[in-house]
Amino acid sequence: MSTAQYLKNRLPFLLVNVLCMVLLSVFLLLSGNSADSVFLILSVWVLILAAGLILSCIYRKREMDRLLAMTEQLSDRYLIAEVMKKPGRAEDQVYFRILKMAEKSMLEQVNAVRREQKEYREYIEQWIHEVKTPITAIRLQCENQRSDFSRELLAELEKVSQYTEQALYYARSEHAEKDYSIREIRLSDVVHQAIADNKYLLMQNHVAVEAEQIEDTVYSDEKWIRFILNQLIANAVKYRTEHPCIQIFSERRGDTVHLCVRDNGMGIPPEDLPRIFEKGFTGQNGRKRQNSTGLGLYLCRRLCGRLGIGICARSDESGGQGTEIVLSFRVDHFMRQVSD
Amino acid sequence: MREKILIIEDDPAIRNQLKTLLEGNGYLVEILSDFTSAAEQIKSFSPHLVLLDIGLPGISGFDICSQIRAFSDMPVVFVTSSNTDMDELNSIMLGGDAFITKPYNTAILLAKIASLLKKAYPISGEEAKDGMKLTWRGASLHPEKSTIEYNGQEAELTKNEVKILYCLFQHAGAICSRNDLIDYLWDSQLYIDDNALSVNVNRIREKLASLGLEDFIKTKYRQGYLI
Repeated sequence: MSTAQYLKNRLPFLLVNVLCMVLLSVFLLLSGNSADSVFLILSVWVLILAAGLILSCIYRKREMDRLLAMTEQLSDRYLIAEVMKKPGRAEDQVYFRILKMAEKSMLEQVNAVRREQKEYREYIEQWIHEVKTPITAIRLQCENQRSDFSRELLAELEKVSQYTEQALYYARSEHAEKDYSIREIRLSDVVHQAIADNKYLLMQNHVAVEAEQIEDTVYSDEKWIRFILNQLIANAVKYRTEHPCIQIFSERRGDTVHLCVRDNGMGIPPEDLPRIFEKGFTGQNGRKRQNSTGLGLYLCRRLCGRLGIGICARSDESGGQGTEIVLSFRVDHFMRQVSD
Repeated sequence: MREKILIIEDDPAIRNQLKTLLEGNGYLVEILSDFTSAAEQIKSFSPHLVLLDIGLPGISGFDICSQIRAFSDMPVVFVTSSNTDMDELNSIMLGGDAFITKPYNTAILLAKIASLLKKAYPISGEEAKDGMKLTWRGASLHPEKSTIEYNGQEAELTKNEVKILYCLFQHAGAICSRNDLIDYLWDSQLYIDDNALSVNVNRIREKLASLGLEDFIKTKYRQGYLI
């Protein structure tokens, strides 16, 4: 609250006071009082008026500042009417009522949007579960009648399942519900599963796969890691160059286990590298290829963040070295001792 | 002895295709399509392993699993399209042996079934050895030692070579296409491309020739290999 504005608002009141002073002085002078006594009365008046004005200004300012601070501390500021005291002044009470009304309509809106969002999310999850049944049926049909045609179909089907999984994890990652269980997993198992998930895609694109040196075990959630690896493998296939090759290996460095996924694809330009994990970022490669969503790596980083795994990317575009994504798991000595 | 597998699944397309797949891999397969008296039917089928969907009309797969556990320890594999953590936890709590989510990878599904059956119905050492050995036209393949034997002579084989020969022996007398071979190798976690397959087959031919087996693996142009 600014003091100048407060005084400005008091202007009519002050003018009335001045008018009263003038009238009173005229009346007192006409009825034979000395100028000295009139001056004395007026000075006392002005003193009392000024003191009252200053005190009430300080009091109001303190009150308003407290209210402001309270509002700023609230995480949902539209709820301030619930926390503040009901004011004593007549106008303030009207404003209070308006605040209450605004809050109520805001709450109704927020709840409606939340409910809609929840229903939509549930519908998406439901839909994903339902679409998995026909995907499974087509997959089994193709595997039972293997031909060049069914192999191509299977490769496309792997992309379809990949996109459905992505939608599922996107729907899930947006809210804080816990849907993972940490247990000891052998990295080689997860890697081989992820390769099996992309088998026809990799074979169709003649991608050479090396996944021999994976000996470490980590504590994490198997299906999330598998999802992350699926995204990384799909990216490596999408941004491949001639004679594509994917190397997956793990190594232990001190207190962390690194799982590296390295490809010899087109690589990432250095100016794009810091932003590849951002939501919706497609970069130069994405613009070249047209079918980049900017979601895959964003989801990877989000899931890694929730699982406490580090994720970073290295790329050397000039040397044609492709891209390397490293997942780093912390080795938990306590868990290891307990399980030994 | 062929193991009996019971499929409890409400989607007709999936259960029929699953039946074809499992029968193609040497299992006896029964399908349960009426879920009202599941426990009695399972008892009368007495399968070695049950593939169980969770979302069934009228009853949940979890209920069927606890009914099974009341009378048997047979391996139960949950196959489901919902992969929430709760479902997985429930399936473990109720005594399920594995939890596989749709759309499942057939290689992973088959490997899981094989390992569960092996664990639940162990075969004795002698039998296991004989069961592993494959013989065709006088040559015997020993996958457990990764060697091939002919006329009392043995040759060492690499991991890739054993798998290639194993696949050829299993289809002995029939043409095995290059794509099928590569498929099989990938399912065995050996990621080999077309060129590497040719190199491996040539190396096998050299080893067989050193044992006195000439022209054991024939190349059928544009079709594949035949032994």
